[in-house]
Amino acid sequence: MKRILKSGLAVLVIAVVVLSACSKSAEAACGKGNNHFIFATWAAGEELKEFNAIVDQVNAQADGQYTIETLSIPSDYYIKISTLISSKNAPDFFWMTQELISKYAELGAIADVTEALHASQRYHPDNFYEGVIASAFHDGRYYGIPWIANPIMVYYNKNLFDEAGIPYPSPTDDWTWAEFIETAKALTTVKKDVNNNDYQQYGTVIDGWPNIETFIWAGGGDIIAEDGVEILLDREEALRGLDILDEILSSGITPSYAEVSSLGSNNVWFEKQRAAMFMGGIQDNFEKKISRLPEAEQFEIGYAPMPVGLDGHAYAFDWTASTVMSTACSDNPVALQALMDMTDGFLKWKIASPLKGEVSEVANIDPLKKDALPTIEHSLKIARSANYIPEWNQINNKLWVELYTGMLNKPGEYDYRTNAKEIAEYARGLIAQRK
Amino acid sequence: MNRGRTGFYFILPWLIGLILFTLFPLLAALYIAFTDWSIIGNPVFIGMQNFFEIFRDSMFYQALWVTVKYAIFAVPLTIATAFAVAVLLNNQIKLVAVFRTIYYMPAIVSGVAVAIVFKWVLDPNYGVINSFLAFFHIKGPNWLYDPDWVLPSYLVMALWGASGGLLTYLVGLKDIPRELYESANIDGANVWHKIRYITIPMITPILFYNLIMGLIAAFRKFTDAYILGGAGNEGTFYMVYLYDQAFSFYQMGYATALAWILFVIILTLSIIINVTRKYWVHT
Repeated sequence: MKRILKSGLAVLVIAVVVLSACSKSAEAACGKGNNHFIFATWAAGEELKEFNAIVDQVNAQADGQYTIETLSIPSDYYIKISTLISSKNAPDFFWMTQELISKYAELGAIADVTEALHASQRYHPDNFYEGVIASAFHDGRYYGIPWIANPIMVYYNKNLFDEAGIPYPSPTDDWTWAEFIETAKALTTVKKDVNNNDYQQYGTVIDGWPNIETFIWAGGGDIIAEDGVEILLDREEALRGLDILDEILSSGITPSYAEVSSLGSNNVWFEKQRAAMFMGGIQDNFEKKISRLPEAEQFEIGYAPMPVGLDGHAYAFDWTASTVMSTACSDNPVALQALMDMTDGFLKWKIASPLKGEVSEVANIDPLKKDALPTIEHSLKIARSANYIPEWNQINNKLWVELYTGMLNKPGEYDYRTNAKEIAEYARGLIAQRK
Repeated sequence: MNRGRTGFYFILPWLIGLILFTLFPLLAALYIAFTDWSIIGNPVFIGMQNFFEIFRDSMFYQALWVTVKYAIFAVPLTIATAFAVAVLLNNQIKLVAVFRTIYYMPAIVSGVAVAIVFKWVLDPNYGVINSFLAFFHIKGPNWLYDPDWVLPSYLVMALWGASGGLLTYLVGLKDIPRELYESANIDGANVWHKIRYITIPMITPILFYNLIMGLIAAFRKFTDAYILGGAGNEGTFYMVYLYDQAFSFYQMGYATALAWILFVIILTLSIIINVTRKYWVHT
């Protein structure tokens, strides 16, 4: 028995030694010390093939100065990224959504690229659309290079507008939220299908998209101030924006929250002509989908910018992804060059480039978007995102779970003003806990 | 002595796995619960701060209450359902083997697949249940979209998957001496008498086991809740809340503290049930 116990103890000691040996105390060198960079992406399938084609092209042009290797993480992307960083094995470059840049910057996980951007002719911050580059900005510094911008705009069904005798909104001139709601009301009607059965046509569809920021901005308000400290959610301007959302939800111009999923997802309502207008990203490929429908089901798409809010400004929520760099590569000029070379490749890949003056590229990438170019350019100019802070995920979770779903489930009845004030206090509490 | 050593070497791979993948993470979790750690960066020791914050957090109580409510209803319902089905399948009827397979299948289906299918089943407009109710001109509820119907939604899923304990009940039923039933027949007992005075008492050890396992499973509910959610905070089960804290909000220390609190809750309930077993478990 004693020997067995001794053996067990020996096993335990061996296990601890093995584990200690496995742990790394020093951060992995940038580019493995020989400019062989690992680039992590969430791309998979067809997107990954296209990504790898860009990598191959960039590697060929680098002519031995560096090489880039792809690390595809198609699911649980941020869990894997944070685990890699934690184990001091962070990829040299990785994609990052705008909401997390301030969090990762605050934790010291991504490199400050401000100097590199200012020194670059092409990627100087002034060359980006303001609202887009702001998404990579935290505490006075830039932490990534945006490679895509996807602001939202209003897609509308011209055929349904013609049927209702409603003039088209201008592709670039501003219309107000009041006009949007009135137009949606005029387009909400009961129609007959081919079997002479009644079905409801709605003016638009809201099921949690667009996000709540869109409506808060519509009131002239905001959630968090630009200083990243002051909470504005309970100000009257923000609450007026929620009034606009509540009016839309309770006026019958959108299917109920429970009804939206019955067709699969919100965009299907627009594709199946059950909703006359849809607020979607400029990337949304309605044109391709509709062109593949039977001719009897096809319709002509029109484009309009997001409506003007109560403060006289129009804002188009923009989702941007940036490529960020591991802090290990901060002082590696070759890494910075590789990062910019990869970004060059991305800008011709997807809609739309975040750089000013490159909107015409959209028509080259997707010829079906040609008619949308004026509205796309206008939307890029009014693009913006929320003022993200490290506590954003927690605040946003409350905004969705409590405020937005409360309004969706009980339109016209939910006490959203009180709830917004409670969430504002919660947000202040989180910020007060900052060290 | 040699045999002892030989036996030890045979279990050594398992022992190493236990140390590396269970014991070591357990000890690490014990430390992490007392730290402020975002996964990225190094943990900073903060003592009991996480626990104090948890007990001040209203979402903690909300998530715990959602989970407790679910456990209160789901555990007895699933035990009763599995037991009832086992009693029925314990008879020698035609195709009983086929029925046993069909009833046990939910236990082996992936939780993710179940959640996705039930998203359709519970759809308020075109789902199976509401379409069936509409046939009788009954307007079905909004299930997962109505806070009042989120718990019933999950209970429906739990009942569908109640066959997890089926095999154990079948084994237990097979172990009941036939002589007891024969004696009962002679004494004029009817079906209900036999179930109440013979079957149930003799099956109580299995019931005890399934009660403990069911309680643990109810408090650890995650997969379908993570995929389906539920209106407002009614679908935020404890494990979903814990997961969000760890991986969405980058508060691994806080999440680990939540995990330890859950451990204490489950342990306490298990001990209570174990202490009471002498009053109701037949030995």
